[in-house]
Amino acid sequence: MLTLNAAPPSSFSSFSIAPFDVNYQVCSQLFVPGNLNYWSARASRKLKNFQLKAGFWESIKSGLVKNNTTQVIDPPTTDEEDEEPLPQEFVLVEKSEPDGTIEQIIFSSGGDIDVYDLQALCDKVGWPRRPLPKLAAALKNSYMVASLYSVRKSPGSEGNEQKRLIGMARATSDHAFNATIWDVLVDPGYQGQGLGKSLVEKLIRALLQRDIGNITLFADSQVVEFYRNLGFEPDPEGIKGMFWYPKY
Amino acid sequence: MALTGVAVGMKVHIQIVEGYRSKSMELRLVRRRKSSNTDRNPLKPATGSLFPVYISTDPQHINPHELRDLYTTCNHSCHRFPNLIDSNGQVEPVDLRKLNVALSHSAVLVSVFCKTHNIVGDGDDNLTPSINSSSLSFMGLTDLLQRVTPVTPFNGQLVGFGRAISDYGLTASIYDVMVIPSLRRMGIGKMIVKRIVRMLTDRDIYDIAALCSKNERLFFKACGFASDMLGSTTMMYTRTTSTTQEDDQNISRAGRKLLLVPPLRGVRKSPSSIP
Repeated sequence: MLTLNAAPPSSFSSFSIAPFDVNYQVCSQLFVPGNLNYWSARASRKLKNFQLKAGFWESIKSGLVKNNTTQVIDPPTTDEEDEEPLPQEFVLVEKSEPDGTIEQIIFSSGGDIDVYDLQALCDKVGWPRRPLPKLAAALKNSYMVASLYSVRKSPGSEGNEQKRLIGMARATSDHAFNATIWDVLVDPGYQGQGLGKSLVEKLIRALLQRDIGNITLFADSQVVEFYRNLGFEPDPEGIKGMFWYPKY
Repeated sequence: MALTGVAVGMKVHIQIVEGYRSKSMELRLVRRRKSSNTDRNPLKPATGSLFPVYISTDPQHINPHELRDLYTTCNHSCHRFPNLIDSNGQVEPVDLRKLNVALSHSAVLVSVFCKTHNIVGDGDDNLTPSINSSSLSFMGLTDLLQRVTPVTPFNGQLVGFGRAISDYGLTASIYDVMVIPSLRRMGIGKMIVKRIVRMLTDRDIYDIAALCSKNERLFFKACGFASDMLGSTTMMYTRTTSTTQEDDQNISRAGRKLLLVPPLRGVRKSPSSIP
C-alpha cells in the first residue's frame, strides 16, 4: 500500500517515483466503482479526458489504475468500510389472530425496497408524489434504510405468506460525523403501536454505534412531539436548518 | 513543518467511494474589503485590491492535513457540540481518520486556494500584490516568479472549504463551510456555497439543506437559503440520560455530548402488539 504522506506536504502534488509493483489502491487518480453511482459513467468519461491532458506521471499512474479497476477500494486491514449497514432481519412482533392466522412484523435493514411499494405507502400516508427514479436513487445511496414488513401466514398447510411493506425510515450520512434522517413513515393502519419509534430508535442505535454523533432531522409540526420523546431536541443551541430557495 | 511526524504510520489518502467529479480548474478574482483604518492613504482607491483565488471541486486537490489545519484555523469542529480545549473557545482538532472517511463519502467537495503572499497582506490596503518598483531590487527571481505564476492548488494555500452530503436522488445537506478569518467578507464563502448548490442542481437535486448556528444564519441567508417554508422544525439527537433508570446505559461520545444509545428491544411474541 502506498502511503502518500511519507513525503512532506509540499510534495503532495509531485508524486514521488514509486516502484511499478506497488499496489495503487491510493486514490491519486479518481477511482469510482461502476456500480455505485450512475453518474460515475459520465464521471469516468470525464476522467479519461482529464488523464489525456495530464502530465507524464499521471499517465504512468493511470496505466496502473486501469489494471486495478476490479479491485475493491479498501484494504481489509482498515476498518473503515466494515460498517455495512446491519443486514439484519428479525421479527419485531408476532400476533396471532382468532382464526389462527399469524401476523409477524419484521424489521429489515439493508434489504432492497421495491419503489412501487414505497410509492404506494407514501400515497397511503398522504405524501406528495416524487419521481420514481429519484426515489430509487435516494434509497440506493442512503447510508441506512430500515423497513418494516407485515407477513401474514394463514394456518393452512400451504402457508401462503403475504408480505407487505408497512414502514420505512432512511438516513443519509457521510459515514463519519453527520447523519440526517429522512422519510420516516408507517402505514396508517399500523400506527400507534410503537413501530415508528422502534424504526427510528434502531436507526439511531446503528448510527451511534458507528460513532456518527450529529443526527439531524426536519420534522413536520405534528410529529415534533414524537421525536422529542425519542430524544430529539428542536433547534439545539440555536442550530437551525435552512433550505435553498432559488430566487428568480 | 512538523506534519511528517504526525503522519508517520497513518494512511493519508482520500478514496472516493462516491461523489461527483467535474471540471474544476477555475480562477476567480476577489476583492479585498477596504480596511477600517483611518490612516489610509487618501490617494489610494477606496476599494481594496483584487487578487486571484482558485476554486476547485476536485477531491484530489485536498490534502487532509492541510484541511485539518484549516478546521483549526477557522475554529470549526465536525461535531455540532464540540469539546472546547481552552477558555478561548478553541475546539479540539478534527480526527484525521474520520475526516478522510467523511471526505470520501461526501458528494461535493469544494476547496479554495490562494497565494500565501495574498493572505499576509490582510487588513492593510497599502500593500497591493502588484510589485513595487522600490522593492523589486530586493526580490529574487523565484519570488518574482511566485508572484506572477497563476495560483493552483499545488502552489497555493487552502483558505476555504465546503462540502455536501447527498443521496444522489432527492436531498442534500451542506456542511463545514469555512474560510480563514483573514480572508472573510470577500465573497469567498458565498462562492463556495454557490458552487456546491450549482453542482447539486446540475444533478437535479433541489432539496438542499444547511445546518447553521446563529452566527452562520445571516451568511446562508445571503447565499439564498431560508428557513423552511413548509414550517418543519430542525431537530437533533441530544438525549444524554435515560428517564428510566436502566443499568448498562450505552453511551456514545459526540464532541462534548455523551449520547445515549437506545437499547435493543427484544423480540416480542404475544397476542397483543408492542405497547
